Amino acid sequence: MKIKVTSVYVDDQDKALRFYTEVLGFAKKTDFSQGPYRWLTVASPEEPDGTELQLALNNNPAAKAYQQAIFQQGQPAAMFFTDNIKGDHERIKARGAEFTMPPTDVTGSTIAMLKDTCGNLIQLTQLARYSH
Amino acid sequence: MTDLEQYAPGPANGAQIRKDGEKWTLILVRELRHSREKVWQALTDPAQLREWAPFDADGNLGTTGTKVKLTTVRTPVPNVSEAKVALAVAPEVLEYNWGDHNMRWELEPFGGGTRLTLWTNIGRRFIAMGAAGWHICFDVLERLIAGEPIGRIVGPEAMKFGWQRLHAEYAKQFGMETPDWPPQAAQKS
Repeated sequence: MKIKVTSVYVDDQDKALRFYTEVLGFAKKTDFSQGPYRWLTVASPEEPDGTELQLALNNNPAAKAYQQAIFQQGQPAAMFFTDNIKGDHERIKARGAEFTMPPTDVTGSTIAMLKDTCGNLIQLTQLARYSH
Repeated sequence: MTDLEQYAPGPANGAQIRKDGEKWTLILVRELRHSREKVWQALTDPAQLREWAPFDADGNLGTTGTKVKLTTVRTPVPNVSEAKVALAVAPEVLEYNWGDHNMRWELEPFGGGTRLTLWTNIGRRFIAMGAAGWHICFDVLERLIAGEPIGRIVGPEAMKFGWQRLHAEYAKQFGMETPDWPPQAAQKS
């Protein structure tokens, strides 16, 4: 067994695809549809066969309520790891993303938080052991 | 089951695409030997839709103004959407939405049978997928109306019945790049 796909709910899959590729820098991996159902995933270009992130349409009222509640509590819907959080922060900010927390040292890591424009907070994490 | 085992779709045929600004429309035409009344029943009656369509309907689609829940079949998670029948003129025109896809069906008399045309808006990247999927659905529909139902072939089932070839053929006919589906990794299973 492998952890191959994890998902975030998004309110608009086209908008999400633009954000996760053009702003965050991931690459589209699979995109398939059957009527209104659409299976859409992205992967990191650093790890094209690594774990995929599914951008799942949030057309489910229960999931919507959950998404909004954790967003309002400031909890991230997903976390991405980087070995250059300051560089990623600058790069992603320059492309128009809104950070709710700039790179901040916490126990064991440096984290930053940004809005994905599709209803979620995303956390970027750089573990302390990767720091120079 | 032998009828199903013997089934193989013919070459890509009867599809056109139209671009209007950013909106793409897939137009599919199929000539059927059967009466418009029979075709109409197969397009509107939930029990018959279950035999060929890529969705289940919880009510009859044959009355203007009706709201019917449509549920995708054989997707990893069922997508449920409420369809509103915008227009139903039996046995000529049927129009409703499937999610944000507008579905317009026209049934014209044709040599004692029916010329069935479907117009549906669909994103450019999915237009060859849609053409291939509906091609197989129409084959199954044809057999159902002929009284020789083979059971619907949607989702993963379509992969066993030549969907990939049709997908590539339609993409070529539409002048689009060769589609990358299924991805290499997914072909092993």
